[in-house]
Amino acid sequence: MISRRILGLAGISFAISSSLIAARQPQAATNAAANTTPAVQYRTTINRYCVTCHNDKLKTAGLSLEKIDVENPPGGAEIWEKVIRKLRSNAMPLPGMPRPEKAFYDDFPAYLETSIDRAAFARLNPGRPAAHRLNRAEYVNSIRDLLSVEIDPESLLPSDDTGYGFDNIGDVLSISPTLLEKYFTAARKVSRLAIGDPAMRPVDEVFELPEDLIQAERMSEDLPLRSRGGTAIRYHFPADGDYIIKVRLLRDGGPTNGDGGTIRGVALKRQFDIRLDKERLKLFSVGGEHFGKSGDEGDEYDRGDPRQVEYETRGADANLEVRVPVKAGPHVVGVAFVIAADTAPEGVIRGRLRRGGKNAEPAVKSITIRGPFNAKSLGETPSRQKIFICRPGEAGSGNAAIKLASLNPGTDADSCAQKLLSSLAHRAYRRPVTENDLQHLLKFYKTGERQGGFEVGIRMALERLLVGPEFLFRTEKDPPNAAPGTVFRISDLELASRLSFFLWSSIPDDELLGLAERGRLKDPVVLDQQVRRMLQDPRSQALATNFAGQWLQTRKLSEIQPDISEFPDYDINLKEAFAQETELFLQSMLEENHPLMDLLDANYTFLNERLARHYGIPNVYGSSFRRVTLADENRRGLLGQGSVLMLTSYPNRTSVVLRGVWLLTNILASPPPPPPPNAPPLKDRGDDGRIKPVRESMEEHRANPACAACHMRMDPLGFALENFNAIGQWRTTEGTANTPIDNSGQLPEGTKFKGPVELRRVLMSKPDQFATSVIEKLLTYALGRGVEYYDEPVVRKIRRETAPEYRWPALVQAIVKSEPFQMTRTREP
Amino acid sequence: MMIFNKAIPRRTFLRGAGATLALPLLDSMIPAFAGPAETVTKPVARIAFVYVPFGSIRNKWMPETEGAGYDLSPTLQPLAPFREHVLVLSGLDNRTSMAQPGEGGAHHTRASATYLTGVHPKATDGVDIRAGISADQQAARELGKHTQLASLELALDPPFNAGVCEPSFSCAYLNTLSWRTPTTPMPMEDKPRAVFERLFGDSETTDRAARLARIKENRSLLDDLTETVASLTGTLPASDRAKVNEYLEALRDVERRIQLAEEQSSRELPTLERPAGGYPASYEDYAKLMIDLQVLAFQTDMTRVITFMLAHELSNRSYPQIGIPDGHHGLSHHRGDPRQIAKIIKLNAYHVGIFGYYLDKFRSTRDGDGTLLDHSMIVYGSGIADGNLHTNEDLPILLAGSGIGKIKGGRHVRYPKGTPLTNLYLSMFEIAGVPVDKLGDSTGKLDHLSA
Repeated sequence: MISRRILGLAGISFAISSSLIAARQPQAATNAAANTTPAVQYRTTINRYCVTCHNDKLKTAGLSLEKIDVENPPGGAEIWEKVIRKLRSNAMPLPGMPRPEKAFYDDFPAYLETSIDRAAFARLNPGRPAAHRLNRAEYVNSIRDLLSVEIDPESLLPSDDTGYGFDNIGDVLSISPTLLEKYFTAARKVSRLAIGDPAMRPVDEVFELPEDLIQAERMSEDLPLRSRGGTAIRYHFPADGDYIIKVRLLRDGGPTNGDGGTIRGVALKRQFDIRLDKERLKLFSVGGEHFGKSGDEGDEYDRGDPRQVEYETRGADANLEVRVPVKAGPHVVGVAFVIAADTAPEGVIRGRLRRGGKNAEPAVKSITIRGPFNAKSLGETPSRQKIFICRPGEAGSGNAAIKLASLNPGTDADSCAQKLLSSLAHRAYRRPVTENDLQHLLKFYKTGERQGGFEVGIRMALERLLVGPEFLFRTEKDPPNAAPGTVFRISDLELASRLSFFLWSSIPDDELLGLAERGRLKDPVVLDQQVRRMLQDPRSQALATNFAGQWLQTRKLSEIQPDISEFPDYDINLKEAFAQETELFLQSMLEENHPLMDLLDANYTFLNERLARHYGIPNVYGSSFRRVTLADENRRGLLGQGSVLMLTSYPNRTSVVLRGVWLLTNILASPPPPPPPNAPPLKDRGDDGRIKPVRESMEEHRANPACAACHMRMDPLGFALENFNAIGQWRTTEGTANTPIDNSGQLPEGTKFKGPVELRRVLMSKPDQFATSVIEKLLTYALGRGVEYYDEPVVRKIRRETAPEYRWPALVQAIVKSEPFQMTRTREP
Repeated sequence: MMIFNKAIPRRTFLRGAGATLALPLLDSMIPAFAGPAETVTKPVARIAFVYVPFGSIRNKWMPETEGAGYDLSPTLQPLAPFREHVLVLSGLDNRTSMAQPGEGGAHHTRASATYLTGVHPKATDGVDIRAGISADQQAARELGKHTQLASLELALDPPFNAGVCEPSFSCAYLNTLSWRTPTTPMPMEDKPRAVFERLFGDSETTDRAARLARIKENRSLLDDLTETVASLTGTLPASDRAKVNEYLEALRDVERRIQLAEEQSSRELPTLERPAGGYPASYEDYAKLMIDLQVLAFQTDMTRVITFMLAHELSNRSYPQIGIPDGHHGLSHHRGDPRQIAKIIKLNAYHVGIFGYYLDKFRSTRDGDGTLLDHSMIVYGSGIADGNLHTNEDLPILLAGSGIGKIKGGRHVRYPKGTPLTNLYLSMFEIAGVPVDKLGDSTGKLDHLSA
């Protein structure tokens, strides 16, 4: 009895002392006292801080953590991945609510990740991309690589629907009757362009310049140095023959289709020339002639002498045309005003000074290329050379032609056709050609051959090739009799296609295809070499243009129209310059093996004179783009580029929210939730009616707790960029009251910063977040499907493999090596 | 790599301006062309939907009085000359566009996806988009049996093609109003030249021999492709067959069109010049050109169903030509600011004015023993009632045209609370002879359209 009581007392005192210890060291004591696992502690924490909102009854944001088993993370991976994301970005609980201690934000995700990853790699789910129709960019590039023909995507095909931010998502790429008809039309055009059509009637191709394009400087690298205005067009001349190139100048006033208005600059005497491939075809004198009294521009009743009026509205540019023989194939047509040799070199003229009129500088409105006339032979264009690897009457390849005059020309032509079409189909279908494939194509060849000879036959077969599902769709086969849910490695040929469409947005080339056919891509060394080769190839520009352009949403730039009354200096040339700067910048990132963070922090960019002046950077002259080292730290990286700054603004003012959202989504991998329905509007005018400075009107975001939860993560980021106005210029005051810009911000966890340089430092202190975001996006783009919860272990693995610098080639290699890229699984029923 | 020597890509600098297919062309056309076969004996119903985003400022849109003698409201003034041909319908709802739990602020997406379908769209960012069959496509299934094109879809905004649109919903829902099946959105053409080519093929000319040759070529392609797809689908896993089946469906549709084209190849077509390409510089010219093409499509009986967006939902187009440099979407969130509201009222009236041009063309186009307007039913409206508050009840809706005498215009009719917009479509189906008696959330036909 006594011993029990003593034990009891001892027990109590032990309990007391242990609870004292517990008060000082909760984890250790609880462990010691009850031998609890971390899982139990985590459950306690979750119950304390999360389940208040995320319970079965409330299901806030559709999530309940009330009953989920902490001891078995893989069992609830779909939900746990959401938790990991929120914890890793410090986003939950909402600011203002009590938070677990800091260690929890590392320990718990790490615990979850370890457990989930282990299970995931033991039984991997690589997912399965849907059958994938070639999107517009892929179609155009494939045609280029297959036939050496460049076509204008926008005039031939509609743009594609997007998913997860990209237009190459298999599930979203549908095919409607309209689209199919467009493929038919495109196939017809392309095959005629590629092979040539001797029966072709002369056509008019008209190229128009936008009216608000400022033609005050040299407009293109392909125009002479001492030129102003006009443009250079790359055009594929369909046949050898004569062509008429006609230029029409810009008119002011009159109906909007230009007839009847007065030719701008008609009172000035200017020189104008038309060039083909930089060689001058003809030099013209235009403007400045007098056939009578000119009308008074200010007086609509004083139109002047009728002969002068005729000159000013029609005659002055009536002779701006030239007829010239041109060989079939791609050429550059350049039309521009020529600056006389004895004139001192000009800087960029601010064309806006004189908006229009007879004494403003003239400008080009349109160029018409009409032809071919007297079409002769079809010439030797790059595309014909590529297609015709043999000719009827010749055996063997084009290079080692042997005329076998004794053979029956019929069989000769047929065997050449077979050879030629096999070769084309092999590359277009991205796999060995079957008898069946060939039969389909030969059917059309025979029809065409009967109608118009060998070349017409090839042309018809080519049309069939270009509209068939074998070309338009990328499909991957299951192994025969595989059970649902079987995971297997895709074939080398399928891998080759995935690779080339990932890195080039186009078909594999002969080298890649050959290696795949011989099963050599299974060798990791060979695969590695190919990836490196492909990244060095100019075709990898597609990665910068298509991936980066969509990921960073710079494609949206074409839709944005800033308010001219707010920004009188803005014009299309500037928008084009923004796009060009960012494209060149992104390309350099990929090509020069930069670490990921250089996107934010690189000390250089690409500028021309117009853009440099816009940014306030001195000593940059001329209209061509060149690399410039940035002395001003504020301008570094994407956050200092007009494209990003403009697409995160409204037409007439900046938006800290849009900028904050862009940064959270694209750089910090933690996109904010959407605003609640019917969020009340902000007041941007004070009670006295004056317009409030942006910071003041944003105060409500901070004051109202319902708003603060999300906005206190977004707004501060945007504030730090407030020195950049809605078109990317640096400013230190805003509004008509010249309120000084307050560019300070503070994040919920206390981090403070002022201005772009400090903001960048904060963003760069979280490279893992950024890397996660990039990897997820790159994986989405590479696979053509959205990244799902079961891909996150792979994302984490790739991040570990490419840390700490996350260089682009390393990221690409890691993705290519990853399981989702190299494997797939059969669908569940 | 010589990146600096690259000529700035042509497409970035060049935009075409369409040649205006102005009235004079149509005058010369009239003697030459023959309208739909049944015109003289039995006129043919046409259906069109014209959409504007962001609703309207109600107190300027909604007439205060009802019935036949109603007072035309300020925003609707441009339609005064067509008063007898227009019904103002109020009280119609689009409730399926309401947010479901967890969906958040994608109002415009839902409004756009439900306007012609009455079916709440699936909240997905890309995989498995799903809405419902839209009213125009239901009509097209029936009316398209007699025309080369089952339907025509056009818009004055290019599709959203970069990034995400509204949270949780794919941009596909905003790019179109029109759904052929619950999972097949119909792309909307925004380039005048492409519309022309849809109607008349990619020839420079509408010459008959060229057309016939083209028809023959297409037919043999189709036959072969159908065979190919049949053998291809056998080798594919079940999950991928659906994709390739879309291709097959598209083939069949093209085939049907070719068949009709063959039958109608003797028809004279007006001599037309194809628009140059790209977009006309001014919004008004652009709108008018697209409208002219639509009138042409109806006149030549190329189609009997047209869906036309003057702007997408979520459009941020600005209208500097009428003194509105602000983006439309931003402007629509006026937060009670009277200056913003005034601009929106002006913009609402501007769009109604463009609709006035539409009605004017219809009224001046002869169609058998009447005009195109006599034989059409055109719905003008928006899937959102109040653009600032994102409401979806009591939408701004007009029904224009006489529907072959079955519709009596010149009135403002108010429907009881809770009447779905889709009921209007059922009434239109009845008039046009489309045998469909349920669409999305419809509960029956609308009364009072004929008197």
